[in-house]
Amino acid sequence: MRKTMISMILVGGRGTRLGDITNTTAKPAVSFGAKYRLIDFTLSNITNSNIDVCGIVTQYEPFDLMYYIGSGASWDLDVLDGGIRFLTPYSQKGDVLWQKGTAHAIKQYFNFIKDYQASYVLILSGDHIYKMDYQKMLDHHLRNNAEITIAATEVFDHEASRFGILEMDDHYRVTNFEEKPETPKSNLASMGIYIFSVAVLEELLNKADPEDIDFGKNIIPKSIMLEKHVSLFKFDGYWRDVGTIESLYNANMDLLDDPDYLGLNSSKHMPVYSKSLNLNPHVMLANGSAKRSIIADACLINGEVIHSTIAYETQIEANAKVIDSVILPNVVVGKNSYLRNVVVNKGVVIPNNYRCDNQDLTLITDDNLFEVGEIYE
Amino acid sequence: MNNLLMIIDATSKGNFAKLTRHRVPGALPFGAKYRLIDFTLSNCKNSHITNVSIFPYGNYRSLADHIGSGDRWDLNRRHDGIFILPPKSLNLTVEDTISFQRMYEHIEYFLRSSQDYVIVSPANLVWNVDYNVFLHSHLMNKAGITEVLSLDKKRLRTFILSKSLLLEYIYNYDQIQFRNLSDVFDYAPNLKKYSYVYESSVYFINSSKELYEANMQMLFKSVRKEWFKKDRPIFSKETMSAASRYGDDAVVSTSIIASGAEIDGEVHNSIIGRKVHVAKGAKVYNSVIMNQCEIKPNAVIEHSVLDKETIVLENAVVKGDPDKLFVSEKKQIVVSNESLAILQVSSECFPYIKTGGLADVVGGLAIQYSQLGVKSQVILPLYPQIKNKYDLFLELRATEKVIYDEHEYRISLYALNNQNTTYYFIESYEFFERENIYGYEDDGDRFAFFSLAVIESLEALDQLPDIIHMHDWHSGLVPCILRSKQLEYKTLMTIHNIEYQGIYSNEIYRKLGIENAKCSGLGKINFMEVGLTNATKISTVSETYRDELKYEYYSKNLVDVINRRERDFYGVLNGLEDDVNPNLDLEIAMRYTLVNVFEAKHVNKEDLQKRMGIEVGEQYFILGMVTRIVEQKGFDILIPALYEVLNNPNIEFVILGTGEDKYMQSLQELKNRFPTRVSINLTYDATKPSFIYAGADAFLMPSRYEPCGIGQMIALKYGTIPIVRQTGGLNDTVDGYDLSSKRGNGFKFFNYDARDLIFQINNAFHIFTNLKTDWQQVIINAMNSRFSLTDSAKEYLELYRLI
Repeated sequence: MRKTMISMILVGGRGTRLGDITNTTAKPAVSFGAKYRLIDFTLSNITNSNIDVCGIVTQYEPFDLMYYIGSGASWDLDVLDGGIRFLTPYSQKGDVLWQKGTAHAIKQYFNFIKDYQASYVLILSGDHIYKMDYQKMLDHHLRNNAEITIAATEVFDHEASRFGILEMDDHYRVTNFEEKPETPKSNLASMGIYIFSVAVLEELLNKADPEDIDFGKNIIPKSIMLEKHVSLFKFDGYWRDVGTIESLYNANMDLLDDPDYLGLNSSKHMPVYSKSLNLNPHVMLANGSAKRSIIADACLINGEVIHSTIAYETQIEANAKVIDSVILPNVVVGKNSYLRNVVVNKGVVIPNNYRCDNQDLTLITDDNLFEVGEIYE
Repeated sequence: MNNLLMIIDATSKGNFAKLTRHRVPGALPFGAKYRLIDFTLSNCKNSHITNVSIFPYGNYRSLADHIGSGDRWDLNRRHDGIFILPPKSLNLTVEDTISFQRMYEHIEYFLRSSQDYVIVSPANLVWNVDYNVFLHSHLMNKAGITEVLSLDKKRLRTFILSKSLLLEYIYNYDQIQFRNLSDVFDYAPNLKKYSYVYESSVYFINSSKELYEANMQMLFKSVRKEWFKKDRPIFSKETMSAASRYGDDAVVSTSIIASGAEIDGEVHNSIIGRKVHVAKGAKVYNSVIMNQCEIKPNAVIEHSVLDKETIVLENAVVKGDPDKLFVSEKKQIVVSNESLAILQVSSECFPYIKTGGLADVVGGLAIQYSQLGVKSQVILPLYPQIKNKYDLFLELRATEKVIYDEHEYRISLYALNNQNTTYYFIESYEFFERENIYGYEDDGDRFAFFSLAVIESLEALDQLPDIIHMHDWHSGLVPCILRSKQLEYKTLMTIHNIEYQGIYSNEIYRKLGIENAKCSGLGKINFMEVGLTNATKISTVSETYRDELKYEYYSKNLVDVINRRERDFYGVLNGLEDDVNPNLDLEIAMRYTLVNVFEAKHVNKEDLQKRMGIEVGEQYFILGMVTRIVEQKGFDILIPALYEVLNNPNIEFVILGTGEDKYMQSLQELKNRFPTRVSINLTYDATKPSFIYAGADAFLMPSRYEPCGIGQMIALKYGTIPIVRQTGGLNDTVDGYDLSSKRGNGFKFFNYDARDLIFQINNAFHIFTNLKTDWQQVIINAMNSRFSLTDSAKEYLELYRLI
């Protein structure tokens, strides 16, 4: 079946900067906004952009993510002539082909692209929070006769050195690309979203050094060097790369403070889908209260929640107080405990009378429970 | 593979009024994010049942939409799966439980399935159960049929039997006397029956009230534990909404809140559905709010069930009470009572002029409305009878000129205020200064003129009405005249008796000055038809009668009009004034309440027997009737049935009423045949109705049709047990007594057939004679029945707000 454009999500990296949160979970499967997983946004964008083929390139802790995505039915991606495919490392003639960089994975699965006789390949990350219509990006690609199109967004100057920074001319043609520069020359950051014309992609992959193929590090700089037509698609909407605890926390706080955050509660205009976990609605008990907060299904709230997001199946017991915090799924917050300015990893049981209230944002996990907080009598 | 085949019975319509206008009961939202059928389907999945069929009635779009391919319950399968089997014959009347005939329509399905055992269970049960447990115990007990009961012995309409036995019943549906499995369980001989008592929490939800109560159960931890188990989850259709959001001023306690809800106000003891928005300052207490409702700032909601997408406007106060919940319709916009002004247009109104039940209803509602804070107004013609009696109190409001048939008539509008209700009277020498109120050749002209005069007088009323409520054919032309004058008032037309339609010459259109009116041939105008066609909404006096009117058998020539107005057609049950009460009845030998009813019943019974001159004795089972003696009331089946049952020397019969000669004559013959046990009183004042209501044991109403019926309600209040045909208001007020659960306040039968009537009389007699405690229980249940006029008024107010 011939498709004009197919999409591939690069899950790859371990997401070490998210600390213990990604110990047993691939980064895209990390919980966000109480009931979402990061990958919900990208998958919803794909289905909302009428793209029905999606290869998910994964090698680190794929189990949780694969289970979560399943057939892709939750995003209407369980179609007969396309849908979701998991592209995991496999062994060929005895060697397990571990992927050696983001682009290497694409090279390994180039047959996947060829199967669909696609003209364009959309390369995505699975851990960004945004809403984008990729068809508009493809329109831009076609209108500008581009061979490669990179989506970019403006970031604050002080953050710019975290990103790949682009420079362009008056016609949106990219003139320079620097990955994580110490002194950024612009504040246009690459969002890690690319459209490649297939022939160009194949050519670039074949020319690249097989030991270390990465889009940001080699492919893009090389394509500019080779004077390929690289175009910049400027994106003005909300976009967050939640690669660190701080950015995950801040994105959750953005959601708390903006009642219309990404229009999440609207079923019209690019809805964001999430897999239903068959949980019962949450219960606010007699002593429970919540203000400026977001609470997901199957929670039992008998304590006080202020300005926090509480993910599903969490229990907050009597007289417990949770302030300015992000609670990931399946947490128990014991009686009389006090949490402020924390991210609690999934499944952590906070004992009764526990207190954690630090100046700096603190991640609470099973292992550091008593290093970052203590029991008060 | 599982050896159990599941038949989900979604044929029951229940008593949900507005909530089931857009869906079958199984598709009703429940527990903030579920539909009722989710429980049954999830139980199937958790019991590893792979072959499931659903038999719905009528409008099952919502159900089909919810179920989809069945993949949420693992029922999207290559082999077996889920099947929705709609009714093939649309003429089968809606029944309580799935009939064998209904199953026969899809006999292929039964033949094709490979399972050996069948479980039949309704779509509106809330429980979390493994059906294999029932099958296991069915087999262990070597039962022929097993019925599942709740811990308090309520029937759950859930049966287990072998497919071969079920097929026998299905094949012979027209040969056997059992219509459904309940009949089989109750009456089939030579069959080993076993009752399985299910001890965990289960709710059979068959009315809005039960839906509310079951929702409220979820606030208890113990119930949640039984319904939502980790190892047997309840699955529902996948939906899309963010997690619930609480605002700065949210105050929430003891409530269940589904995802997507946004709470900025107060919520206590309530169930809040998906994407509900409770705005700042709004308060919700003890209520069930379904998906996507919007509660605007400072609205107050108490004891209510709000259907999906209801909008409660700013400052509106919506208060039901535990016995009479406020129920909104899907997408309704709710305003507060205080902002409503109602004008009832009627040809009669108690206490000013009365010839029949209509006057009581109009008069009763008017008073109730003003007590509920609504501006209540009634307008009627000024008959000489009223003028003579109330002359001193009438205040002249206006004089108007009305042009009718190219003549200019002068009318005067009088007003009278009583208990905050304003009654208006239209005086016209030419049309209303007559001896009688009906029965003239020009009644058509008289009431056409009245309707016109009402409209000409609207500007002179205390308050312009938001809703004009017309009763019966007399005011049927109002909406049509409004339209011709391009006045945009909203109207509700209520059918009290469809037999009287007001058919006159269509000259009346010309006389009213209406041009280009559509006439339905023959040069006639049908007031009722014109009213039903043009009113904004239409209604009748019971939910069951509303459904029956869809059939030509009941609505005759108006069947097409009524079916065309289906979506605007409602049923609101009439109620009784609170002073209908055996404790306030000064005529009877001994007044009574629940406390002394058994003693008083004896006294009143003996008194009745003596007055009627029939055999006196405690052992006699007295069948009473107070009725018009006409065909409608079922005399064609009643008289043969009486000949049969009176052969039983312990049955007596007393009737008060008047009507058609042929029936009165047959009754006289009956009296001659059983002189000592039958009393026939064929004039209205022959005896007091109260003697019969208080003294009889059972009250017969085998009506062929009965829009609402008042006799059965009075009888119930007097603890006299109604034996009725399951039609119209009788069906809505009488519940068949059930020996196992001890619920029900009377006896009813379905077919218009003497044998069925005899069966129920004998059944009642059997309980009366042999099961004394059960008979006392029926009396208690009867006297506890609730038909308050306040409830009807509240119901009408809900309807007005819908318009």
